Amino acid sequence: MTSTLPVPTVPPVRRAALPPVAAIGAPRVLLGAVDGTGVGRRVDLAHHRHLHGARPSYGWEQLVAAARAVRLLGRGGAAFPVADKLAGVRRGRRTWVVVNGSEGEPASWKDRVVMRLVPHLVVDGALAVADALGTTRVVLVVEDPESRASLHRALAERLDAAHVTLREAAGTFVGGEVRAVVQHLDGRAAVPPGRPVLPTVAGVGGAPTFASNVETFAQLGLLVLLGPGRFAHVGSAAEPGTTLVTAVGDVAWPGVIEVPTGLPVADVLGVSPAPRPFLLGGYHGTWVGEPGGLRIERPGLRAAGLRWNAGVLARVPERGCALAEVASVGAWLAEGSSGQCGPCVLGLPSLATDLRALLSGHDVRAALERRGRLLPGRGACAHPDGAAGFTLSALDVWRDEVATHLARGTCGRPYLTALPLPVTGGAR
Amino acid sequence: MRIAVDWTRCDGHGLCARLLAESVVEDEWGFPVVLSPAVTEHQVTDARRAVAACPRLALRLDP
Repeated sequence: MTSTLPVPTVPPVRRAALPPVAAIGAPRVLLGAVDGTGVGRRVDLAHHRHLHGARPSYGWEQLVAAARAVRLLGRGGAAFPVADKLAGVRRGRRTWVVVNGSEGEPASWKDRVVMRLVPHLVVDGALAVADALGTTRVVLVVEDPESRASLHRALAERLDAAHVTLREAAGTFVGGEVRAVVQHLDGRAAVPPGRPVLPTVAGVGGAPTFASNVETFAQLGLLVLLGPGRFAHVGSAAEPGTTLVTAVGDVAWPGVIEVPTGLPVADVLGVSPAPRPFLLGGYHGTWVGEPGGLRIERPGLRAAGLRWNAGVLARVPERGCALAEVASVGAWLAEGSSGQCGPCVLGLPSLATDLRALLSGHDVRAALERRGRLLPGRGACAHPDGAAGFTLSALDVWRDEVATHLARGTCGRPYLTALPLPVTGGAR
Repeated sequence: MRIAVDWTRCDGHGLCARLLAESVVEDEWGFPVVLSPAVTEHQVTDARRAVAACPRLALRLDP
């Protein structure tokens, strides 16, 4: 089958260079790192303490109460209430604290920005959790070499972090899933287990484990440094505070931006002459026709049937072929299957093939929809669910674009790689 | 009780779809699609039989 994909190979993404870093409103997580030029600055320990003061000691009850008071939700993707996770993990010296800095989604940069620019906020958060849980077992799991170097320097600068260890992540997309991270730390293949096990109950080495994403720990650091009152001073009532967004493509604020929760999605995307679809929640997210009244706030988005996931907003420039972007991400998602579960191993490549066929004008819409609808819930992790959501929502919002391809075999626009993909191709 | 599949074990042998035709069908590759995970009282015996028959021990009944 011939394809209209003008550039089927993916140009290299420069992983080393940070995207622009900015804040709408006053920066909090990125305080000291944002200087208005877009080029982020790393905050060392002296600067960090000058900005935030010393880390106050929080007991377990106090930390749970603070996390509950500000309705803190996990920032990795599942948006699980942090207070419930903290309250659900057994305290004691056996317990592990795992900081997940895998950031396997190629479009997302916010965790790397946090690790590279404000590493001490992450360490403060991890130590606050470890102290509250009565443990010294703390491990940071990081893929990006520059982020690892930044955290390594941060740990060396401090006198209170001798017990914190730094580990290299597995470097795969599915390997960043929290249960896969636990497997990886135990020396096994970084894939999610087939039976439901909660890391809080049986995590690293079978011990109770509090594992969360880098930004969650940075927000926890901020929470203990500011106290719940000042933490909740900005943002929406349903999820106070700020959140980090990676905005990609034709948007008003490209790069990583810290925004108060409740900010209209349209403020980040910017005005466009005609409403154009955008992607919310990254490559496991949803294509949406237009921003309307949507606001950046996990509970509100969830109520609207959307998932914020790792916080990626993307809009393909009008001069580019949106369907080629969708098909390329579809191919990457298929390669990203960890190869464990039949419906994903066979279903995702078939979705990718269908998308490629659609691109070159073959009407496989019915097969695509049927296959996509069968995927959710049929894997050890949410990878098939995310891939199906991405693909089916694209089919829906880009139906005019699809119709053009079906009528003419092409839309005449080039593939821009507006949605970034890693050099090596595939998430494995 | 609910029918659950350990997808990392399932190889699509298809016995569950034959023994539990009311609630399990096969997809185009022979992997099970559980249409109704909840097991009614009159299905419990069949469901247990299907769990026992799975050659990969991939099928289970969750409380």
